[in-house]
Amino acid sequence: MSHSTPIAGDFLSLLAEHQLASARVDSASGSVVQTQATTVFAFHFAGGVLMAGDRRATAGNVIVTDRVEKIIEIDSTSLLAVAGVPATAFEMARVLQTSFEYYRRSQLQPLSLPARVRALARLLRDNLPMTMQGIGIVVPLFAGVDHAASPPKPQIYFYDPLGAQFQAVGYAASGSGSGTIRSILSFQERYGQPLPSRMNLPEAVRFASRLLSTASEFDSATGGVNPATDTFATIKVLKADGVDTITEEQQKEILRG
Amino acid sequence: MTEEPYRWLEAIANRREYVGEQLKSGSPVLAASLPDGVILLGVGSGQSKVFELYDRHALAGLGHPADIEKIRQAAIDAAHIEAFTRAPEDVSLRRLVGFGLSPQLKTNFEQIFSAPFLVELLLAELGPEPAQDLFFRLHYDGSFQTQLGGAVLAASQPEPEAAGQKWLKEALQGKTNRGEAAEILLQAWWCVSENKPLTDQIPPEAERKAGWREAAKGKVIEIGWLARQNARAARYQAQTISDLGL
Repeated sequence: MSHSTPIAGDFLSLLAEHQLASARVDSASGSVVQTQATTVFAFHFAGGVLMAGDRRATAGNVIVTDRVEKIIEIDSTSLLAVAGVPATAFEMARVLQTSFEYYRRSQLQPLSLPARVRALARLLRDNLPMTMQGIGIVVPLFAGVDHAASPPKPQIYFYDPLGAQFQAVGYAASGSGSGTIRSILSFQERYGQPLPSRMNLPEAVRFASRLLSTASEFDSATGGVNPATDTFATIKVLKADGVDTITEEQQKEILRG
Repeated sequence: MTEEPYRWLEAIANRREYVGEQLKSGSPVLAASLPDGVILLGVGSGQSKVFELYDRHALAGLGHPADIEKIRQAAIDAAHIEAFTRAPEDVSLRRLVGFGLSPQLKTNFEQIFSAPFLVELLLAELGPEPAQDLFFRLHYDGSFQTQLGGAVLAASQPEPEAAGQKWLKEALQGKTNRGEAAEILLQAWWCVSENKPLTDQIPPEAERKAGWREAAKGKVIEIGWLARQNARAARYQAQTISDLGL
């Protein structure tokens, strides 16, 4: 009862102490057809950060499902967008969810944004053997509220597969459809009206849906958005005071308007 | 010394006496099940009595802050490991207390050459319905009682605790408002802290209301709220008496 983790509030240390470290493969041989999840992106809009993703997962040229949730609420101040192999990405999300809550509850204070950003980088580095073998690659996006800023402000971060972290100024995208998304976002930031950063929520949701529709025209691994077939994106909004999920019903309503 | 059984019994009795004496001045903690959630309340020096454990679980305790801290940490560790290795839905107070905290407290209490834990604890689990809210009253020696719904009080002495719990059961009957419930819990806290009778001779309501306000001056009233209806998995919110309109 009196033990304490080597690093106070560090959930991974606690798991290691109980010899319960999450399963890790250092080497693998043979080729497997991996399930992949694409496409995700995030941009700043007037109400905070909008993070969205299509709902398709593929394995080679097979569509595994069109119901994947790639935007994951880690806690009330952070969102994770996963692109890559869901098996690894969902496990990373679970580790982050438990780690952040564990720290908050045990240390009686929330984890700072830089520590949250590095926690994900650490998981990506731990996944390095799998990444180097081309198995289990995850290239996520992360959004978190910076409480050190006054007033607190949501920020967007993107990573490379080895764990390097970068802060995005206006937007970030990842996954096989990200090239198209980045091109359009770049265009909109330079020449668009309104600028993404000035869009209100309905405008931002409509824009996000159109981004995914366009990406799906050029990338078969990206599921589009089609209200006629009740196919919508996963959209979450990170504000200084919490996370809102834009439901399918809300998206339908906005796209109809 | 321990080779002689009666010495061991004597040592245990001495420990009970010592723990009782150390806890005598402890400030009681209380909890109640309401239609919208579970409220936990304690009055102390701040961040030392009422704590979040897991999504639907909270703890309130009196005693030595360092001992409460050790138990709080052990409960948080166990709950998070359980949730991670199985699922958040598998974290249950029954298992946390029955198979975790209680045996450890008992073992510690019976190790007569180590310092005993100076704690009296109350743990709450939010259920889907008020009748399924589960309370554990856990003692320093590992013994515990359980209760579904209603109100629970943890004090250093068993008699005022029982009287307080009986009074709370009647006083909270039909109360649905969180602020009203907190007011009644604070009145019970004052009566137990000030050794006022919680029987037919209980001080009138006006005196009780004035009493807790006076006694709580310079102290921190810690309130934990486990909300039944909440979109987020973590249901615990720390609140203040002004949040509750008191």
